[in-house]
Amino acid sequence: MSAAANGMATPHPAHHGSGPVVWAAIIAVTCLLLLVFQKVLWLVVPVLLALILYYFLYPAVRSLIYRGMSRDAAASLVTLAFLVLVGIVGIALMPRLTSKLTHWQDTVDRYVQGGTQLLDASLRGLERHSPPLARAKLADTVAARLAQSTGSIADHLEPVALGIMAWTPSLLLAPFLAFFFLRDGRRFKRFLGSAVPNAFFEKTLFLLHEIDRTARAYFQGLINLTILDTVTLAAGLWLLGIPGPLALGLICAVLAWVPYVGSILGGLLVVLVAATDFPSDPSMAYWAIGLFGLVRLLDDFVYMPMTIGKSLELHPLITVLMIFAGGAVAGVPGLMLVLPVLGVVMVIGETIGLIITDPRLMARHRHAKALRRVQASADL
Amino acid sequence: MVKLFRFRKTTPRQERLHELSLFVNLTPAELEIVDGLLHERHYLEGEVIFDEGEEGQAIYIIASGEVLISLPDHGNGRHATQQGGASPAPSHPLRRQGDTGRVAQLGPGTFFGELALLDNSPRSAQARAASPCELIIFFRDDFVSLLETHARISSKISRQLARHLGTRMRAMALSMSAHQHLV
Repeated sequence: MSAAANGMATPHPAHHGSGPVVWAAIIAVTCLLLLVFQKVLWLVVPVLLALILYYFLYPAVRSLIYRGMSRDAAASLVTLAFLVLVGIVGIALMPRLTSKLTHWQDTVDRYVQGGTQLLDASLRGLERHSPPLARAKLADTVAARLAQSTGSIADHLEPVALGIMAWTPSLLLAPFLAFFFLRDGRRFKRFLGSAVPNAFFEKTLFLLHEIDRTARAYFQGLINLTILDTVTLAAGLWLLGIPGPLALGLICAVLAWVPYVGSILGGLLVVLVAATDFPSDPSMAYWAIGLFGLVRLLDDFVYMPMTIGKSLELHPLITVLMIFAGGAVAGVPGLMLVLPVLGVVMVIGETIGLIITDPRLMARHRHAKALRRVQASADL
Repeated sequence: MVKLFRFRKTTPRQERLHELSLFVNLTPAELEIVDGLLHERHYLEGEVIFDEGEEGQAIYIIASGEVLISLPDHGNGRHATQQGGASPAPSHPLRRQGDTGRVAQLGPGTFFGELALLDNSPRSAQARAASPCELIIFFRDDFVSLLETHARISSKISRQLARHLGTRMRAMALSMSAHQHLV
């Protein structure tokens, strides 16, 4: 009670960080969850997208609530407005997309050929300046190997395209889920809180808030990072004169959501476009590589610490090790999911660790249970 | 569209919230926002709500029942419970640790643990249900996010909180001067 001076308070128990046992459990649970998530990826990906959408739309819902709208109406209106906007953009882009999709195999072949030509020209340039490479006939060897493998590119792309089409219905779940997160998020939090015994209630509320804070910071950081990456890449590509800079920048920024693999794919895409659209000017591809490298450096050392890095408060060593572990345990989905999953498991693990190792809280819980038992059997 | 921005009639729960001193200045629209942030808990007589020294995360508002605020006797009761006892000292089942340093007994409409809204200093006393009670809980982080998103609502709550603390300080100063006068 505040009436008593703070000076009267007993010293607050020191807040120890989680021990090695708790951390081992956190890492084990994270890996286990990634394994499980890999099996139900059709559900995990829409939920993840729904969470991103939820944190993206939440400020608009909050603003409407403050202007006097009920939560249900605000969630409905914002989701509807978003769907209408997506519909309008989709209809506007449909003619261009369909014309591209009808020739998608030719387009892919053209870009792959452009990339192959750039590689060949670069290797032959290297051979001219380096006699050992010329003697090894590096360019011819690589060209022969590529000729063997490029024949199968179309065979590889067809299942990927079919897979994307099969995934589309489950991706439509994302706005549906986001709507319910927006409308019933607080009710869910209260519902979870009501299941917790009184003794642990404050700590659990804190836990729920921390999970929400971590997830919000992560996903809002991810959205901000995507915008920053898109704008920087698009500006650089526009300055270089590469066509479709905004679309390319956006695709690369979204691909970068998957650590390492996504960045490599994004870089490859930019280089292929530059090499194909400027076949007589290989320097354009080198400029594109330079630009991509610069953006990655900016991303790793400026944008990432400004956005996502701050949110999870993870040690960089743990972050890197867990990214590798996530990739080893669950492949590309593991790379993408490992950091948000680790962030949430870390908060839960640390809080459970704090609760079960606090003898006073456990004693209070047992006391409350004893009181309830006495009350239940009072008239028996 | 205009209808969308018109609030429905306030619920009985919101009417009850409006009667509490902390929320007395809030409009129905503001009450609806605050209502979404509050939690309700039921405590049995004798149940500890929070302990002295514990990190405060929330303010408690008494909806019904009574709560005893006390400075525990560190010599016996707490020690016994800390060792893992499931109930208060078995030799004195009716004597609770809170009885030794009673500070106040609070009734419906009042609130306690308010300093937790302002900082995360440890609780300075123990709170225990003096009768079966229903408490409304306002979590600090919800209040902090309210400060960022709904400055108007949080300023109204903060003003009520400041008034409450001012009244309490004046009462303390008066009791101290009366005590000195008697001495």
